[in-house]
Amino acid sequence: MPVTVPAEAPLRVVIAEDAVLLREGLSRVLTEAGMEVAGATADAERLLQLVATLSPHVVLADVRMPPTQTTEGLQAARQIRQQWPGTAVVVLSQHIETEHLFELLADDPRGVGYVLKDRVADITQFTDAIRRVAGGESVIDPEVVSRLVARPRRDSPLQTLTGRERDVLALIAEGRSNQAIAGQLWMSAKTVETHVGSIFAKLGLAPAAQDHRRVLAVLAFLRC
Amino acid sequence: MSRLLRAVLVAGAVAAVTFNLVTFYVNGWPGPPGPAIYVITSTLVLLAYLVVGLVAWQVHPGERIGLLFTITGYALLLPSLTNLHYALPFTIGTITASLYQACLAHLALAWPYGRLRSRLDRAVVAVNYCWNIGNNAVGILFWNPRTNGCSAACPANLFLVDSSNRLQSDITNSASIVGICITAAVVALIAEHWWSARGYSRRAMTSLIWVAVPIAAYIGLLEVPGSLGVSNLVLYGIGPLILIAAPAAYAIGMFRARTARGAVGAALVGLEPGPAPALLRDALAKALGDPTLQLAFRVPDHRCYVDTGDLPVDADPLPAGRMMTQLDPGARAVLVHDDELRHEPELVRVAAAAASLALEHSRLRAEIQTQLEQVRASRARIVEAGDTARRRLERDLHDGAQQRLVTLSLALGIARSQAAGSHPELEALLESASKEAREALAELRELARGLHPAVLTETGLPGAVQALVERSPVATAVIAVPAGRFPATIEAAAYFVVSEALANVAKHAPSAAAQVMIRQRGGQIVVEVSDDGPGGARPEAGSGLRGLADRVASVGGALQIDSPPGCGTRLRAQIPCP
Repeated sequence: MPVTVPAEAPLRVVIAEDAVLLREGLSRVLTEAGMEVAGATADAERLLQLVATLSPHVVLADVRMPPTQTTEGLQAARQIRQQWPGTAVVVLSQHIETEHLFELLADDPRGVGYVLKDRVADITQFTDAIRRVAGGESVIDPEVVSRLVARPRRDSPLQTLTGRERDVLALIAEGRSNQAIAGQLWMSAKTVETHVGSIFAKLGLAPAAQDHRRVLAVLAFLRC
Repeated sequence: MSRLLRAVLVAGAVAAVTFNLVTFYVNGWPGPPGPAIYVITSTLVLLAYLVVGLVAWQVHPGERIGLLFTITGYALLLPSLTNLHYALPFTIGTITASLYQACLAHLALAWPYGRLRSRLDRAVVAVNYCWNIGNNAVGILFWNPRTNGCSAACPANLFLVDSSNRLQSDITNSASIVGICITAAVVALIAEHWWSARGYSRRAMTSLIWVAVPIAAYIGLLEVPGSLGVSNLVLYGIGPLILIAAPAAYAIGMFRARTARGAVGAALVGLEPGPAPALLRDALAKALGDPTLQLAFRVPDHRCYVDTGDLPVDADPLPAGRMMTQLDPGARAVLVHDDELRHEPELVRVAAAAASLALEHSRLRAEIQTQLEQVRASRARIVEAGDTARRRLERDLHDGAQQRLVTLSLALGIARSQAAGSHPELEALLESASKEAREALAELRELARGLHPAVLTETGLPGAVQALVERSPVATAVIAVPAGRFPATIEAAAYFVVSEALANVAKHAPSAAAQVMIRQRGGQIVVEVSDDGPGGARPEAGSGLRGLADRVASVGGALQIDSPPGCGTRLRAQIPCP
């Protein structure tokens, strides 16, 4: 579901994180980055209430939260995406678990992000991820993707990719658009398009024009 | 029986047989020596009673049955005295000619242990003795052998008062009626004994019936005047052989009792080790020939007993005719059986010993079973406690150190963004501190994962196995993983099998390709991890595999490693899953 954010208004965010210091730190970082932290909570139930009343543009939720300390954040994220399509969700995790990732992306990868908590150390990268998700993109943590790409394989078409194609593949899996890939790899949009076509042909995947579709296709391929 | 008495009795028996043979051929009566059948028959009968009597006396010195057989044997010799052509033995022989019949009746009523059971028995036996002697004693007063077909060769009848053949014949005829009545009374009492016999003694009484009926019929026939026209050769020559039935039956009984001891062993050997008490009871009842036998156990802290079906057993006091045999010194288990079995102490002792062995076996087996179950349960508890501790550690790391490091990273990030541009040196320093924190986080993350993967608890085997495969430095394919959830201990066991197996492949065959397959099948979860490496792995090598085998065993499963050199390695765990 596309998320629409008015360009001029500040991004309205709700934070759900049970560690107080981290919650406050995040709140401060986002405020300083020009966003509006409309609410913050320590548990999933309260998060849903806040989303219902505040209609934030983005929710930042920890996977593990009280009361059971398992995957409340993840469940809440899915529910929010289904119930309030106008609210994007960034899930913060301490684990690199593709099981969680796929659970989150399966319904619809648009406006969804799976980011490792480590990422908060780089504030620019972190706030950029939040803005991208708010803009309707998918954001998959580079570490998760690099682990999937680096997996040892036997007799896989991945081995036929060139180094450059692998770089492009990883960025596709992170949820980047062609334009963003072109910017990041210092190549023209045309070249990126060529690489994408070649990658999809080599992997035997049906060409997908929309970003969110190719994210899922590529991730599913990497996961097997 | 003292040695002297035994010697005398054996000598007497030899003498009796010799006497029988010699007198018959020397004299012969009535008239010249008849066919050899007469002497052969009487000698065989004599021998049978004396031999069985002496042996029985030897085997059961406390019972009178042997004595009764011996006496009957000698009584059977008495009629032969008439073969001596002297007046006194001739007369004695004539008077005591049917004494053996009274002995036989006594024997039958005292069967099988030589004791008369009641006053009535004793009275009938006494009357029978008096009648047999008295009848002949009266008859002889009027019986002249010389006028009764025994020519001048016969000696004189010392008691002859009047040679009235008519009177003698009247006495004989009326005596026959009384004799038949007494015989009938004896037969009736025997039948009553058989009818009232229970348990063990029933079998002995049944064998008596088979013997008593033909013998009584034979003796009855002798009493009937003219013997219904049966020829003398059959009546006296072959008929007495019927008498051998009694010692023969007793001898068979003795032999049976002896083999019964062996049968006790056989019956109990036939049982499976540590039999159920009800089966043990049945085997004992069969071996002892007492269907009324009860195997009883004392109710703890009480004096009462219950049988194998938990029904109360009359044991305190025992009802009449019952007897108790202890199976252990404390009488916690006992046999309650027919008291006739006291005549077979050896048999009962063997059976009791075998029974207590079987019970002891059952008890030990139950004890070992209990201990085994306790050990199993404690092993399962240990593994579970270990898992719980690992889970708690993982959670503590997550909520504690990891969380703090994330907060620290964030703080460093904020500091760095504030130092950006203005303090390049500080920015570089913060950048490297940030990198350290990130690496610490990554290391801590892997540590926490190794302790206990949160994804296993959260999503079950598929996600957890997928995570293992994604992390493994070995090219690994997941063939199948059941989607459902299982008890935590089972999931943990299956997970650690895959984890340890993949770690082993990475260590010993890093260039191999591996396959993971978990299937649920027939109440079992089968975990199989195979690779196409060089094989030749030894299960005893490496504590990892041993620990893994322990973990699998703790949930009742089995671990199997198959690693022929050159053909890859396959680790297979079968874990029962209800």
